[in-house]
Amino acid sequence: MNFFSVIRWLAWKDLISEMRSRETISSMFFFALIVILIFSFSFSMDQQTAKTLMPGIMWVAFVFTGIIGLGKSFLAELQNDCLENLQMNPIPRGAIYLGKLVSNFLFMLIVELILFPLFVIFFNLDVFDKLPLFVLILIAGTLGVSAVGTLFSAMTVQIRAREVMLPILLLPLIVPVMIGAVEATGSVLSGESVTFYRHWIELLVVFDIIFTIVSFWVFEFILDH
Amino acid sequence: MIRMIRKYEDWFGVAGGICIAVGLYLGLAASPPDYYQGEVVRIMYIHVPFASTSMTAYFVMTAASLWYLWKRNPIVDNMAHATAGVGVFFTAGALFTGSIWGKPTWNTWWTWDARLVSFTILLLILIGYLMLRTFIEDKEREARYAAVLAIVGAVDLPIVHFSVEWWRTLHQPLSVSPRGIAIAGAMLFPLILMSAGFYLILTYMVGVRTQMLYLQQLLEAKKGRLLGEVHL
Repeated sequence: MNFFSVIRWLAWKDLISEMRSRETISSMFFFALIVILIFSFSFSMDQQTAKTLMPGIMWVAFVFTGIIGLGKSFLAELQNDCLENLQMNPIPRGAIYLGKLVSNFLFMLIVELILFPLFVIFFNLDVFDKLPLFVLILIAGTLGVSAVGTLFSAMTVQIRAREVMLPILLLPLIVPVMIGAVEATGSVLSGESVTFYRHWIELLVVFDIIFTIVSFWVFEFILDH
Repeated sequence: MIRMIRKYEDWFGVAGGICIAVGLYLGLAASPPDYYQGEVVRIMYIHVPFASTSMTAYFVMTAASLWYLWKRNPIVDNMAHATAGVGVFFTAGALFTGSIWGKPTWNTWWTWDARLVSFTILLLILIGYLMLRTFIEDKEREARYAAVLAIVGAVDLPIVHFSVEWWRTLHQPLSVSPRGIAIAGAMLFPLILMSAGFYLILTYMVGVRTQMLYLQQLLEAKKGRLLGEVHL
């Protein structure tokens, strides 16, 4: 199998098994919903504070659900020694990483796209004319989280206390994604002109590129015998 | 290599101790107070060496990690491990003394400044690194995963710093930087002496800890062989 078909088959396999079981996406979705509800209760917001707090709440919810999805990503491979088989196959390690990255990214993005209308309703947002920009920020932020997250998912799945270690390792590293995504989302919401927040989107894109390349390179040291 | 460390480490410790003792006297008693900050500025002689050694420690850790992934020499991994442990001490020291300095000068213990945030993230990565190592049984895998984390963290830290700098910043610019030295001679000398002392102590501590980890691993390997298992 060549490089790109490995990526395609791995991602496709994850999507098919998800379509049949609907385990990951549904648990991610309900977890995010609960996070949002908890935030709404604990801040008891009026319309104005909701607008200022909403970007932060949205991205915290997205990242937390992302961690749920990422934690399950390689866990599924442990059953029936699938991970061992993947490691023994003479396929490039980087392709395994990219395949997993694609499926993790898609899972997170699907959940975010389902949740987004709920945010619009709950927080009474007026976004329809800026929808493409929103989706761009969503994609850039999600790719950043899943690029680092896929690497650490593969790392933590083979150790003790994996549920604890994944967020402990992942969350400090994605601080730039959080700052960039929250600032960009907030600026879009408050109706600023693109020149004021372009640099945040650029930061997200640069982060995505750097960490996809770095993780791609170091992944071979994670799945190595 | 371990023999070389054992031979020279004590000299580093002694020289570092002398430098810090003289530097502390010069910094706390003999040097003039700052024009703006008064006597408060004297914490600089501890804070700045803490900060620069902790960054150097992370740099050394990353270099050792790259070296390990390249050559797979277990002693280099012990060195990276040792540097992380010592690095936690120096990073926490930098944050702690910085917080004490921030209260009288910025009127706050804590603020979301670029350097403060990057040092906090640095500390969190180091603690995560040490935690990760405790959760892996297999020595070879532990070394590999830890090295990967160190490298990813090294790539991340400049981006963290950069992004928070855009976000908001309050920290005074560095007094001693490649762009020039903005500090009086009477204050510079004790600062250099203290920094030299801190670097020597850092070397000493890493040397001791590396030896300890190496011996620990050796002991475990021998124990394993006695029990009929093969570890290393």
